[in-house]
Amino acid sequence: MIDSAMTETDIQLMFCGSAGDGTIAVGDIFKRAMAEAGFKVLAFDIYPPEIRGFGKCISRVRVTSRQAYSLKHQSDILVSLNDSYAIPHVSEVRDFGGVLYDQAPISAMAEGEHISGHLQPGQLPYGVSMREVSDQTTGGSKAKNIVALGFLAGLYDMQREPFHQIIRDKFKHKDPIISESNLLAFDTAYDEGVSTFRLDFIELGTPERQDIGSKVQMMTGNAAVVRGCLDAGLETFFGYPITPATSIMEDLATDLPMRGGRLLQTEDEISAIAATIGAGYAGARAATATSGPGLALMVEMLGLGVMAEVPSVIFCSQRGGPSTGMPTKTEQSDLHLAVFGGAGDAQRIVLAPTNVEGAYKCAGKAFEMAERYQTPVIVLLDLYLSNRYETVILPRQNPFEADSSKKRSHQERGVPYHRFSFTDDNVSPRTVPGEEGGIHTVTGLEHNELGRPNDQPDMHLKMSEKRHNKLLGALDHPGITIQKRFGDEGKVDVGILGWGSTFGEILEAMLVAQDEGISCSAMKVVMLSPLPLQPVQEFFSDCREILIPELNYEGQFANLVGSAISKPFTRLNRVPGVPMRVADILDEIRRLAAQVKSAA
Amino acid sequence: MTEHYVIIGNGVAGNEAACHLRQRDPESRITIITAGRLLFYSRYELPRLFHEDCDWRDFLVNPVEYYVENRINVRRNSFVTHVDAQRKSINLAHKESISYSQLLVASGGATNLPAELSDFAPLLNRFNLYTAACQVRDILPKKGKVVMLGGDVLGLDLARNLINEGYQVILVATEQTFWPHRVDPDERKLLLGALTDMGVEVIENAKIETIQEGAPGMSARHILFDDGCEIFADVVMPFFGLLPAADFMMGSGVDFERGLLVGTNLRTTDPSIWAAGDVCQIWSPEENQYRFYYGWQNVKKMGEIAARNMTGDDIHWETATDHKMYIDENRQIVSPYWEHD
Ligand SMILES: Cc1cc2nc3c(=O)[nH]c(=O)nc-3n(C[C@H](O)[C@H](O)[C@H](O)COP(=O)(O)OP(=O)(O)OC[C@H]3O[C@@H](n4cnc5c(N)ncnc54)[C@H](O)[C@@H]3O)c2cc1C
Repeated sequence: MIDSAMTETDIQLMFCGSAGDGTIAVGDIFKRAMAEAGFKVLAFDIYPPEIRGFGKCISRVRVTSRQAYSLKHQSDILVSLNDSYAIPHVSEVRDFGGVLYDQAPISAMAEGEHISGHLQPGQLPYGVSMREVSDQTTGGSKAKNIVALGFLAGLYDMQREPFHQIIRDKFKHKDPIISESNLLAFDTAYDEGVSTFRLDFIELGTPERQDIGSKVQMMTGNAAVVRGCLDAGLETFFGYPITPATSIMEDLATDLPMRGGRLLQTEDEISAIAATIGAGYAGARAATATSGPGLALMVEMLGLGVMAEVPSVIFCSQRGGPSTGMPTKTEQSDLHLAVFGGAGDAQRIVLAPTNVEGAYKCAGKAFEMAERYQTPVIVLLDLYLSNRYETVILPRQNPFEADSSKKRSHQERGVPYHRFSFTDDNVSPRTVPGEEGGIHTVTGLEHNELGRPNDQPDMHLKMSEKRHNKLLGALDHPGITIQKRFGDEGKVDVGILGWGSTFGEILEAMLVAQDEGISCSAMKVVMLSPLPLQPVQEFFSDCREILIPELNYEGQFANLVGSAISKPFTRLNRVPGVPMRVADILDEIRRLAAQVKSAA
Repeated sequence: MTEHYVIIGNGVAGNEAACHLRQRDPESRITIITAGRLLFYSRYELPRLFHEDCDWRDFLVNPVEYYVENRINVRRNSFVTHVDAQRKSINLAHKESISYSQLLVASGGATNLPAELSDFAPLLNRFNLYTAACQVRDILPKKGKVVMLGGDVLGLDLARNLINEGYQVILVATEQTFWPHRVDPDERKLLLGALTDMGVEVIENAKIETIQEGAPGMSARHILFDDGCEIFADVVMPFFGLLPAADFMMGSGVDFERGLLVGTNLRTTDPSIWAAGDVCQIWSPEENQYRFYYGWQNVKKMGEIAARNMTGDDIHWETATDHKMYIDENRQIVSPYWEHD
């Protein structure tokens, strides 16, 4: 954008204001413009539980030339649209980073109310005539956010055009005068930015070339889930709104019917899962989406899906719990519920993507797996992953199989149908209602191969083995990462094992640790059930010390791993409601590395 | 109650005072207010920009941690518009008001531009701040031509540096040449001769008619004199000394002449307001008049005296005799004012 020479770009901006200031909107325009320019973007917005009016909104956007894995703990620039909300976040700006604020607010202030008085010595102030320019160009102060954006774009020599395009797009359904006056506000502030002497050392640099044969897009984790569902041929969706999963249903409500699919908002989560299992039984690709409290209601029905071996896909975006808990805060505390929740030995497949691209893949692959292994598949996201934006590279060719179910072979069609027949891979051929010769009984009771109720000890054991062992096939399911190791190969001092969205922070911490000369690796586990025990065991034996960071109090993943592997490890548990700090993980890595050194 | 010392000005005087205030009153609150955006940096080193790859971080007098450790809050980008001595509060341009127990005004001086040149202000480049110096560096081509109008000690110091770096310097001498030194006609002749020997082209007795932007593809500036002579240059810079920067004290009730008037203890006519540095005129009992004193050493001393008196001492500024400019054995002009740590 500004430089002809390729420079590594890595800047993080933080827009902070109150609900109604257009904080999230301006963050959105900024990240879209950056993605449009070819940069990689990773962004996360935080807003209050109230719909409108009061409360703090923050939009954090990290812009990089190469893929980043998490937000940085410190931002390079803070844009304050409301000083009283932004002041507590000044300390999150790094030394020699900039703070942009309104230098001519409308009313007199008491001492300490203006953000300029809170800057730390190493930070650089940029006073912008936000309200004045907004007033002059739009006749009101609503466009303060656009003024701040224009100034920022001018200050860092960004091209105007992508911003113009996105601003036009944003206001396209409104009176054209609104779009024009906002563009004027942007341009006026842009010129002010250009003529302001830049004292920080922030360079935007150039984006990396994009991969040929793929398309780069910016989307949230939930949007990626929707794309994955649509690409995998989702036919029916049943849901009941709940933060932070609601946007999955909202987006599908528009997109699914256009592709001939059906969506129904049910009266509660129990109906949603029941309908999903019903549709799955009928042969449709069916899904529902919820959060922890909703999943808690669903588990009883989920047992039926396990027992009756019916495919279904459940997206669960975790938030702070238990109970109503912290609806707008992130947490990874539904692992126990997702993996073990319900009556009986009801093992199911649980996938936990670690980033937005992974959310797309897991969503699509979940349908293949549900069909292939005839089971409910839970895709475990969390608020941070659901809501965060990333530029992702999606394959141009649809990567998902349209039909993965195991059907009766030609020969089998001639003989009486046993819905739950014992087979080598423990998966029985499946029919859907209406299929000739496929008539069978289905029940939540334990049953024999024909599906007829049978509670004999032998049968219960054999069927339990069948239901558990068939899932082991999922560990080799093609086209999906079950687990993956990063960083140093072979024996290392410190290994970090992680799951879900926290893995981004783990990777960032590992990279810094490597730069510091610490021998370390990180392994992400995407499939939480069944657990890929062998590679995890190998990882354990390669690492002198193991660290398991996760955003929950109990160490739920650590419990899962610890129940299978006896080697001691270190837990790192945090429940702040926001993503884990890279610095916290890094501190632990350093401590463990020092421990290894001193033991040697 | 802890004292809140507010210092207007982030220069030598203000920072020296803050340092002494912290030592003498460890519990107090200290706030430095400055219109500038940077921490205290050494302006004397700005000419390094012409020959070194450096930036403002290299000019910082104190490291960033110094301010944290000493709990000195430097409020940058904050322009003082008014001081209300009765309420003991100051107003900032962004509409915030700040109260003080004691106030030190150390707002220095602003570049003086004679009225007849004010129309050309947008075409003139200054050298008083880091940003201004960077702009000169960025627009000046290699071996480019600089015209200096006036030629105070600050300008002459820059001229020497520019010549050493291979630039051409033309000095349009006026009565402010050698400011703040007062030089008699004989001295002036000698000093101008030394400048010529240094490589500065000196133009005397010339009155500027107009300054224009150069034609495209030509030098950026075009100066026309009333005798019809003309000069093309890349940069034109005014060096006519400084004027005290204390407009915000108007209406405060504190006595003001050209600068803020202070006694030898550096207290103004308001018992809670003190002044130090280029902004103040100090009473000289010996000369029976108020006098300015410029330069790093003087100003630094004033910062210390003000701080000590604000915290209960009773020490006084001693009238100093004028330090004469002289030409050293290397034919360099030396201003004793102009020595710094
Ligand atoms: C470029 C340059 C080079 C120099 N070189 C030398 C040298 O080599 N040797 C030497 O002895 N002397 C030198 N001097 C002169 C010497 O620096 C001055 O005498 C000295 O800087 C004065 O210090 P001060 O603290 O009084 O004010 P200054 O250093 O001028 O500081 C004034 C401060 O007040 C602030 N201020 C002013 N008005 C307002 C307002 N309304 N609101 C808020 N803040 C305000 C400014 O932002 C600034 O921070 C030089 C001066 C300059 C400009």
